[in-house]
Amino acid sequence: MTDLIKLRGVNKYYGTYHALRDIDLTIRAGEFFSLLGPSGCGKTTLLRVIAGFEGVSAGTVMISDRDMANVPPNQRPTNMVFQSYAIFPHLTVAENVAFGLRKRSDIAKSARAGLVEEALEMVGLGGYGKRAAHALSGGQRQRVALARALILKPKVLLLDEPLSALDKKMREHMQVELIRLQRHVGITFILVTHDQEEALVMSDRIAVMFAGEIGQMDDPETLYRRPKSRRVAEFIGKMNFLPGQVVALSGTDAKADVATGAGQAPGTVPPNRTNRLLTDLMDKIAPGTDTTEDTETPADTAPAPELMTVEIAGLGTAQISVDQAPEGAKLGDAAVGIRPETLAILFEGESPKRHECPGVVDEVVYYGDMTYYDVRIKDVPQPLTIAMKNLIGRPVLEVGATCRVAWDDRALVLF
Amino acid sequence: MNAGTALTQDQSRAIRLLGVPFVYAVLLLAVPLGAIVLFSFWTQDFMAVDTTFTLDNYREIADSPIYAMLLQRSLMVSGIVTAVTVVLAYPVAYFISFHVAPSKKSLWLFLITIPFWTSYLIRVFLWKVILGYNGVINSGLIQVGLIEEPLTFILYNVNAVIITLAHAFAPFAILPIFVVLEKIDRSLLEASQDLGESRLSTFFRVTLPLSMPGVVGAVLIVFIPTVGDYVTPELMGGAGGKLIANMIQTQFLQLNNAPLGAALAIVAMLCVTAIALVFVFLNRRWLRGRR
Amino acid sequence: MSLRVYAIAYLIFLYAPIVLLPLFAFNDATIIAFPLSGFTTEWFSALKTNGSLHGALTNSLIIAGCTAVFSTLLGMCAARAAAMSHFPGKGGITGFVMLPLVLPEIIVAVSLLVILRQVLGLDLGNWTIIMAHVLICTPFSIAILNGAFGNLDPSMEEAALDLGESRWSAFRLVTLPLVMPGIISSMLISFTISLDEFIIAFFLTGSDPTLPVYIWGLLRFPAQLPVVMALGTILVALSIILLTIAELFRRRGIKRSGAKDTGGFL
Repeated sequence: MTDLIKLRGVNKYYGTYHALRDIDLTIRAGEFFSLLGPSGCGKTTLLRVIAGFEGVSAGTVMISDRDMANVPPNQRPTNMVFQSYAIFPHLTVAENVAFGLRKRSDIAKSARAGLVEEALEMVGLGGYGKRAAHALSGGQRQRVALARALILKPKVLLLDEPLSALDKKMREHMQVELIRLQRHVGITFILVTHDQEEALVMSDRIAVMFAGEIGQMDDPETLYRRPKSRRVAEFIGKMNFLPGQVVALSGTDAKADVATGAGQAPGTVPPNRTNRLLTDLMDKIAPGTDTTEDTETPADTAPAPELMTVEIAGLGTAQISVDQAPEGAKLGDAAVGIRPETLAILFEGESPKRHECPGVVDEVVYYGDMTYYDVRIKDVPQPLTIAMKNLIGRPVLEVGATCRVAWDDRALVLF
Repeated sequence: MNAGTALTQDQSRAIRLLGVPFVYAVLLLAVPLGAIVLFSFWTQDFMAVDTTFTLDNYREIADSPIYAMLLQRSLMVSGIVTAVTVVLAYPVAYFISFHVAPSKKSLWLFLITIPFWTSYLIRVFLWKVILGYNGVINSGLIQVGLIEEPLTFILYNVNAVIITLAHAFAPFAILPIFVVLEKIDRSLLEASQDLGESRLSTFFRVTLPLSMPGVVGAVLIVFIPTVGDYVTPELMGGAGGKLIANMIQTQFLQLNNAPLGAALAIVAMLCVTAIALVFVFLNRRWLRGRR
Repeated sequence: MSLRVYAIAYLIFLYAPIVLLPLFAFNDATIIAFPLSGFTTEWFSALKTNGSLHGALTNSLIIAGCTAVFSTLLGMCAARAAAMSHFPGKGGITGFVMLPLVLPEIIVAVSLLVILRQVLGLDLGNWTIIMAHVLICTPFSIAILNGAFGNLDPSMEEAALDLGESRWSAFRLVTLPLVMPGIISSMLISFTISLDEFIIAFFLTGSDPTLPVYIWGLLRFPAQLPVVMALGTILVALSIILLTIAELFRRRGIKRSGAKDTGGFL
């Protein structure tokens, strides 16, 4: 893939407010890229910088190796789907879609009606052309906005929180449809969203932004599995944080332990596939001890990585590979992160695990497909949140019940 | 692009746009206001204006009891008109905001604003027809037999001026109150009743305090312009109903004493502004933290 | 319920004087008093042949027309700026432009008279009244147009830019059609205010009076009063027609921009 958009050292001030701080960003052609972050983090400003609605205070924006410094929005190879969709209420659907063709001398007037119908069909609104735009529903408006932008065949389609105005069902439906559409047209999509689930489901790569800075930029799986900072970890999904201490670097090879067979017990329960996209994704990228069939350890196939030994408050000693820790991690205090779904409560009859400790259920939140437990463990400062699938025959524990909690070295992230 | 500048393109565009009406207002409002301030320190010498700086005009205003009396009467009339107008208007604004169906609200507002837009002069004159010696009220009351002689206390005096002005400024009072009432979150009223207040005490403890910014706005928008009206006192006030604006008009157009007129205008404006500021200050606790 | 009765009584109070207008305009008596004596259209016929009245009317129409155009243009500048981004001092500047709304009209009148006659030594004429009327009508235009521009989604114009239009053509193709009802409404309101305005016109009028100044002159002659009534009837009817059209346009504009109607002109 070739690089399509390059941002170098982009800074943006509003008076004294520093809205974008030293943004370096490269987006490849054909990529589905997301800017994810809480409101006010600068993600929409960044999108508007790319579109040309906001100038930059410092830095360069290049699209197709061309400096965009003095290129107004109407001459950039970008088109935008606005958060409000900005469908012109005084025009019909077809007039809205054809709006951008007016200034396109390269497209013959006679061909325009056909193009409009084609674009409307592509977004599933074939035959809607004569309708008044102000009479459309939210979902239909969004489709018109997409058709209106895509008919111009831009190099980049910018989507500013396009799904936030839709209800949950419609939003999930449009997520799938947007992915399909992006593959169909092959245009680079840049999506701005505050919804981590949406970003994980749809994107090839995600940049997580906080306070005008990019906190981390990675593919969804890496982002979820190996968040580089606590705020990224906290923003994407849930994570337990425990105080820990790195006691040894380049520890002994873990193979010896694993070879004893105590390391992993084969999972016997087939994973419960739900319709929830995120749950599927979690399965894919963060194999929990209770769902994966895991007969061979990474240590068997990959060359033995460098290891670190970490003492975790209340849980015990863990050996982790260096890619689970930040670069240049040193001996001493560190925070250890564990995702709720990588912890497991062992039910009666389940074979013992390598890491196990007793706990007491403090809180139970039942979600239908999942149950979230807060479990108190001796010497762990805060109760650990554990997500368990509600598999057939598996009971939902009550507050106060004692249980066994299992955890896995490979699921730990050091900060 | 515009590195280093504190303003965005959008901001400078907005400034340029707003600059047009602003420059116009400066040229036609600020500069002339400055001119009458200057003029008030000069004197009229028959046909010419003597441009030596002097406080003579202000001294004359302070010394002659007629000006103080007119000013006092003006402020009193404006005060009464304001009080009457706002008190009478509040229930109407309340009714439209709380009891009229949303689809009918603009019709009601439209009906209330129409009289305001029709010829002011003719409206004032019509009050003369209503209140006059053989006017509608007198001839009506005589025909019914309630009175034998026409009532004289309703025309050519301050009462007539007050009635006419209260009528003329009615929509001015209703609209600001209505706008604020519309913004009140209806769930606040339900919350108050849920917490044990009756409908009446809810009105006094919740609705009225929340609508005070509108009341303050209404008071200002009625009080300030009424001080400057000379048509109504001229037509309705008779000899005893003349106000400060009539004196200003006379100084400028009949006595050709622009400097004294300017000084009078400034004194009147300062009094009005001072009273308005005191009023706003007294109500500051209702205005704080709104919008 | 009692509140409704009160509101209706209040409306009657508001309309009482206006209702009398046509009664006396068609009344066959030179004295404006009850009881009415008979029906006549004599007073309306008198209007037709009155040359100085026609002159005053022409003047007023010219003044009102110019005022409507200029105050709406200024109002558009201010309302568009108001809908754009905030900048330091914006509130103060807007407040200053809106000041004539609360300033006693006599103050505006005398200060303009002083600067025009005494300082600049200019002759008064229609143009001096137009200038003053633009000043006092602009706040009303701004109030109306703020509704039209403020309800507009700012991304509408950005969308047009994004789709290849220039700044000007984006304004012309998208914003202008959407605020057009507001513009028409603003012009009609300014026209009506200017047509009826007396206090300032009386100070600034030159040798040719405006219609209200002419009526003021007539009020001193009792014999002319029935004619004034006839003229007033026509003016009020005209005002109501203009206002109704303005209101219809204002509502259409709000509907077009997809917002909820929140009330009247101010």
